Amino acid sequence: MADLGFHIPSLIAYVVNFVILLAVLYMVGYKPILRMLDQRSERIRESVETAERVRQEAARQQESMEKRLDEARQEGQSLLAQAREMAERYREEEREKARQEAEAFIARARDEIRRERDEAIDGVRRHFAELAILAAERVIERSLDAGAHRDIIERVLAESPSIDRS
Amino acid sequence: MTPRLKRIMALSAVVVVALLVAGLATGAIGASLTGSESFLPEPEIHMPPQKVFVTDIVEGHEGDAPEEEHAAGTVGAGDGFVLTNTMLSSWIVSVLLIGLFFAATRRMALVPRGLQNLMEMAVEALHGFVEGVAGHSNARRFFPIIATIFLFVMFNAWIGLLPIYPSLGFRDEHGIIVRHLLRPAGTDLNMPLALALTSFVFVEFWGFRLLGRHYVGKFIRLENLRRGNFLQVPIDLFVGALELLSEFVRIISFTFRLFGNMTAGEILILVVTFLVPFVALLPFYGLELLVGFVQALIFAGLTLVFVVVAVTPHGEEEHS
Repeated sequence: MADLGFHIPSLIAYVVNFVILLAVLYMVGYKPILRMLDQRSERIRESVETAERVRQEAARQQESMEKRLDEARQEGQSLLAQAREMAERYREEEREKARQEAEAFIARARDEIRRERDEAIDGVRRHFAELAILAAERVIERSLDAGAHRDIIERVLAESPSIDRS
Repeated sequence: MTPRLKRIMALSAVVVVALLVAGLATGAIGASLTGSESFLPEPEIHMPPQKVFVTDIVEGHEGDAPEEEHAAGTVGAGDGFVLTNTMLSSWIVSVLLIGLFFAATRRMALVPRGLQNLMEMAVEALHGFVEGVAGHSNARRFFPIIATIFLFVMFNAWIGLLPIYPSLGFRDEHGIIVRHLLRPAGTDLNMPLALALTSFVFVEFWGFRLLGRHYVGKFIRLENLRRGNFLQVPIDLFVGALELLSEFVRIISFTFRLFGNMTAGEILILVVTFLVPFVALLPFYGLELLVGFVQALIFAGLTLVFVVVAVTPHGEEEHS
């Protein structure tokens, strides 16, 4: 063995050197690098998970957005229909109101006309009575008691069908 | 390909061929044909490593060892701790490795660049290798020692290919190097043996640590004795002894596999350089790079496999 170079102190030295090398490499090399590799893979895993979460979130948001849009569209359409209906109703009411007003106006006008005609007839009657009295005064050439005469004339007029009110 | 590049390549080819021819002519092969002096002196092969500092050469003349042995300054059984050229080389490798890792991890960034990126790739590849064999939970336990064995063996093999390794040394009065200052540590029997012992202790430690008394049960099988199958007992004892023996045989196979490969590579390169000093060596450098990588992978890989086997619960023990 000695011919091959077997030498116990050297052997011990090599073992010690190797153990020191192992310890130092562990401290300055393997530990920091493995920690860095772990950190990196952790980061990548997190990133992938985050990306997945964001993707799902986006999909969900889009879905809800579309739903809301749909709702808004339906709401708009129902509002529009409602407005149209209201407008229709309003028009109908207005028309009705106008018609009623017109009818009321016409009725009022008719009443007015009737009243004015009655008044006119009354006026004419009164006038005619006075005229008749005047004529009679002239005829008999004397003044009579106006009240007594009027009674006579009223009676005459009531008996005469031609000058009736209607 | 531009004509300029073509010209440069043709010129390079001519130079390479000329160097090869010169190597053939001036090397040991050409020298023996022409009867002239070889370009390089015949390499001297010493199995034991040589001491870097020799203080007892003068005393050596009076000692019983041959003078040549003392001039070479090889380590003998009588020496205490001495700094040898292989150990110096292993220290350089250790410092280099520590420096590389230190530089790579000094300012670490989440997005790696340059050296950090390179070392992270190496560590990640090694860790992936360990994880693939040992599984996720054990990978962190086994990784540091497996990675260190791999890197230490590989760099020790590769650093020996540097041209300063054969050219630095202490010369005698004829200008011939008698003691080399540096020599790859793999060619020193003690280095592979130290690694093999470390690997052995590592394997046994984790075997005991993770399996406890079941681990001992692999070597001392009492299962059939307890059950009363007395005919089986001698067989069990024999199998247990074989298991135990195989644990120790690994030390020897580990040691001599690495030592043999490294020494053979070193000698091969020395001899080829002696025979043909120029160019012819290049394929062998490529081969030695591969051998260094493969040996490192084998040493680290086998240690890993052994430790995984050691921490895997034994089949019979699981049934009990």
